[in-house]
Amino acid sequence: MYVKKGFSKKKLEELAEDVVITEKLSPAQEAEARKQLAAARKKTQAGMTEQERLIANLLQLKFRLEEYINNREYDDQLTFGYFLKEYLQLIHKKRNEFAAEIDIHETLLSQLINNHRAPSESVIIRLELHSNNAIPATYWYRLVEKQKEHFIGTNKDLRKAEKKFVKNPLRVSI
Amino acid sequence: MEIIELASGERKSVIITETLKSDLKNLTEDRFFFNWRTLEGSPVVYKLQLKEKNGILGVMGLIHFPDEARVEIKLITSSKENIGKKKKYEGIVGCLIGYACQLSLTKYGEMACVSLVPKTEIRQHYIEKYGMEDAGWQLFLDGWRLLNIVKKYVLCM
Repeated sequence: MYVKKGFSKKKLEELAEDVVITEKLSPAQEAEARKQLAAARKKTQAGMTEQERLIANLLQLKFRLEEYINNREYDDQLTFGYFLKEYLQLIHKKRNEFAAEIDIHETLLSQLINNHRAPSESVIIRLELHSNNAIPATYWYRLVEKQKEHFIGTNKDLRKAEKKFVKNPLRVSI
Repeated sequence: MEIIELASGERKSVIITETLKSDLKNLTEDRFFFNWRTLEGSPVVYKLQLKEKNGILGVMGLIHFPDEARVEIKLITSSKENIGKKKKYEGIVGCLIGYACQLSLTKYGEMACVSLVPKTEIRQHYIEKYGMEDAGWQLFLDGWRLLNIVKKYVLCM
């Protein structure tokens, strides 16, 4: 038991609204509990509809995107193309099929998935509309911005190339 | 996520984050019904706070079981002023259970599951209030039951 003993049933019922109190099981009970749970989940999983699976997987993508764009850390694997590919996989669409559904050329879709091109505002809006607002356009936009921010903030070659165009820079430093 | 201030009826936005080491010394039995420093099984401990001001209103200990695509709730407690008939805010426990469902969904997608082993006397409360399914020792949420909790407490639909 995770709290002090001695509460009456009435007291426990009163507390249930504001506190979740659990039992501590013995190793044998724990093993039994896992078996029981696995069996029960097998049934509920089998009873899930395709629509429920789709909603669960869409929410997973939404929460992963949300977590990443709200996190200050940059991960070069988690690009616009990566999440777009994930979206296509979870809705079980082939590239040509999906490209037709958002009215873009299949080549452009491949370029977006392979991060060879950045998406236009139209593409971002079409993605939101295609997902029926499940993944807001602002999430895709912030993902692209995060990549851009990292690129601008860390690209040494770009700085080297642009240096020759800047004359008389300030001499003070802050 | 939102809780309701009972005196005004206003909905207040909350955030849930992992506790810091420095938080643990404040999670005493006097304030949080249980001395959280002594919780067994090394759970990850999360705290619920209002977006607009500091101060912990609720705490939750979770154990992750990646091999089973499952998160188990070990304990949830509201702060002292949020327990009982004279509590200040409504919905703290619901938001924390909702957050456990969100974490599980983020990691495991359609396989997501949240479970707990409640005390016998209060099993029925969790079945009725949160739609939990009975699996013997454990109560659990998965499939549409878990999605309903996420919609209600996380997406506020």
